[in-house]
Amino acid sequence: MAGYFLRRLLDAIPTVLLVLTLVFIAMRILPGDPAIAALGDFATPEQLAAFRAKMGLDAPLWQQYFNFLWGVFTLDFGRSLMNNRPVLDLILYNLPFTIELTLMSVMFGVLAGVPLGVLAARHRNKAPDNAVRVFSLIGYAIPDFYLGALLLITFSLNLGWFPINGGGEGFADRIYHLILPALTLAFIKAAFLGRLTRTSLLEVLGRDYVRTAWAKGARENRVVYRHGLRNALLPLTTGLGLSTLAALSGSVAVELVFNRPGIGKLLISAIAERDYAVIQGGVVVFAMFVVLINLLMDLVYVIVDPRIQVK
Amino acid sequence: MLRRRSFLKVAAIAATAVLPLSAGLSGPATAQSTDTLEIAFSARGLRTIDPARSIQGADEWAIIHIHDKLVEVPKGRFPRTVAEVQPSLATDWEVSDDAKTWTFTLREGVEFQKGYGEMTSEDVKFTFDRLLNPEELGVNRSLYHNLESVEVDGPYKVVFQLKQPDPLFPLGPLLHYSASIISKKAFEEKGSEAFERDPVGTGPYMLETVFENPSEGVLLTRNPDYWGEPAKMPKLHVQYIADTTARTLALLSGDVHMIEGVRAPGWVPSIKARNADLHFDTSSPGSFFTIQMNMQKPPFDNQKVRQAVAYLIDRDTIAEAMAPISQRTFGLNPPSFPAGFTEETVPEAVRYDYNPEKAKELLAEAGLPEGFSFDSYTSQREDYQSIALMIQDMLRAGGIEMNLEVKDHTAFHADQATNTNTIFLRSAAYPPVPTQAIGEQLSSASEVKNDGSGGPNFSHYGVAIPGIDDMLEEAMAEPNLEARIEKVQAIEEKFLTDMPLLPIVTNGYLIVRAPNVDLGYEQKSGYAHWRLTDAVVN
Repeated sequence: MAGYFLRRLLDAIPTVLLVLTLVFIAMRILPGDPAIAALGDFATPEQLAAFRAKMGLDAPLWQQYFNFLWGVFTLDFGRSLMNNRPVLDLILYNLPFTIELTLMSVMFGVLAGVPLGVLAARHRNKAPDNAVRVFSLIGYAIPDFYLGALLLITFSLNLGWFPINGGGEGFADRIYHLILPALTLAFIKAAFLGRLTRTSLLEVLGRDYVRTAWAKGARENRVVYRHGLRNALLPLTTGLGLSTLAALSGSVAVELVFNRPGIGKLLISAIAERDYAVIQGGVVVFAMFVVLINLLMDLVYVIVDPRIQVK
Repeated sequence: MLRRRSFLKVAAIAATAVLPLSAGLSGPATAQSTDTLEIAFSARGLRTIDPARSIQGADEWAIIHIHDKLVEVPKGRFPRTVAEVQPSLATDWEVSDDAKTWTFTLREGVEFQKGYGEMTSEDVKFTFDRLLNPEELGVNRSLYHNLESVEVDGPYKVVFQLKQPDPLFPLGPLLHYSASIISKKAFEEKGSEAFERDPVGTGPYMLETVFENPSEGVLLTRNPDYWGEPAKMPKLHVQYIADTTARTLALLSGDVHMIEGVRAPGWVPSIKARNADLHFDTSSPGSFFTIQMNMQKPPFDNQKVRQAVAYLIDRDTIAEAMAPISQRTFGLNPPSFPAGFTEETVPEAVRYDYNPEKAKELLAEAGLPEGFSFDSYTSQREDYQSIALMIQDMLRAGGIEMNLEVKDHTAFHADQATNTNTIFLRSAAYPPVPTQAIGEQLSSASEVKNDGSGGPNFSHYGVAIPGIDDMLEEAMAEPNLEARIEKVQAIEEKFLTDMPLLPIVTNGYLIVRAPNVDLGYEQKSGYAHWRLTDAVVN
């Protein structure tokens, strides 16, 4: 298993390298001079040149590229062009906020989505199934930033139940600040997972061995959960992986709406200010997460379905 | 081999363990307290609080509270004359007959914060020498281009030697936040990099914390040894909430006491609808919003076409749409500035009141009776975008179709700087120095270049139509204030006739204040920041 994991990790290196190269090129193609963004319109050509030299932006592109790759390899992402802080510090500060948001939203999404899917499958074409379908449609249709603003206005501003902005301080406060943003992302996840659970479960419930279980007089819960849901877990695992990745990318808008610290908010600010070092560092983190989540999902497949062999 | 059941247990434990993963790390303090005045700005995070290096308006709010300048504005407004300038670290000053030598006497016994000793003329000289030093990345150096040298004359006297006469010197660079006096000893001890996040001044507040999260900003605490009247609130928290909705909700929910407003039509009425008791503090003139027509690109090389555009743009309607922050302007200098034309004083020939019939006549004379179409772009920033859309609509009355592209703000500035637009929009703030904006937007020295190395004279005025450089030089060499104002008004009249640039409106800076916050005075004009030392939360 460890060998398999290591091999998959090595397989991911070209992917990460490709992402890094694309980000590097995209940053250099984008209109907007980071020196002007940092120093403003009144900066003289000499000051702009001095800034570029200080930040290594005057070096040939190939040299900047290799400096960047070496920096990633040694975990030295450089300093922010805007506030001169080490990019690694900024990432380390913001990353936990994004991780906790992603995890909690996926947890909420699973806790709501899977039971809803089971409910819909058990009552196929009846009122509960139709209700879950409507819920799923709304979940698919509503943009996360809009839902976030709606929840914020309703539960924070009008009812005063949750804080308006920030990430919180200390464990309880952090969780308190997390609930509404996590629910925003979880709503969409629950819609997706609910639909997926319903479809997978209905497919499994139509199989011969389930019919046999019914014929043997097994109770409904045993048939649905033991024979049905357990065997429907494989597509659900794929869905969970996709859902986690979607939560990660969805965190960008939610962090902005709720004014929470996080890698997404950091990236958006950096893009607007052409802060190359922070963008590159942030994208590396996102890319690593995508690779890691895919790896974890592969691992989970093996655990969920023992028929899958590791080679 | 991990089994399914044990895997689920491990996963559940991991999920709950990761949530408090970062709980031990410091987080933003959002709790509302009665001893802290909370103010949130439309910016993504703190950049620097070094007065010489700051270019972000929001950071200036911390800078002006940590530091003092030699002189100060009267509370709530720009001074109209040098006599109205208020003493601060300087108690009085005198000027030579040629208006080239200004001598300031310093206040004695003023202590720098955190035990860095008494403020003396050496600190003042150090502050200005640093601003003039080309090796420092002091981005406001262009403001001090007329400053030849700063010399000390004993511990409490400094002499400013200017290259050209400036009868308004205390109104110009000395009132700018970058002229905040810093401690020489603290700067040398901490070094340039550390000073950007840990400055030492003599101001009414001193720096307590720079939060790890840039958007959490800075916390200032009252300076117990302040030489002047102490600040009323013990603490001042300057924070950054870039998202308009999040910032507005933070105010409405009571998370913060004051927020930076949005310069877009309809925003003020919408927030008033939520809470009619909110206060709106506006600092006018704020930013000068102008359009410049690229005389290198036909048909804008034709004076009649440019004048027709001027007659088609209804500036009163634009100002009304942007109310209450906006005012129509009649020249590049706004009515409240020295040499600024007012509704009463603007010469009739260059008033350019909305007149589509006159515009059509001019277009016909220019050989374009059916109008024309052209491509242009603007920024997605609210004020740029909304004014550009209004102009696009107004030009249609003359048959002019403006094909407008909306760009990301940074990309917009980068593209404009390489001479690629046809009608350039610009929003920029200036001190009440009448030659400043003219020099920057109309002189040949500021002409935009294709490689991006030029300045913001996007129309190519002074090169396509020469004459302004000599007039500007003459005005800047004039030591007498009244005579200088006359010369500047002659420049205004000339360029308004040639019409490379149409002043549209000034957009004041807007702060929305909670009903329970008393500012202590009325804010009318000035830079986009003002002191909150008299403010109290009731």
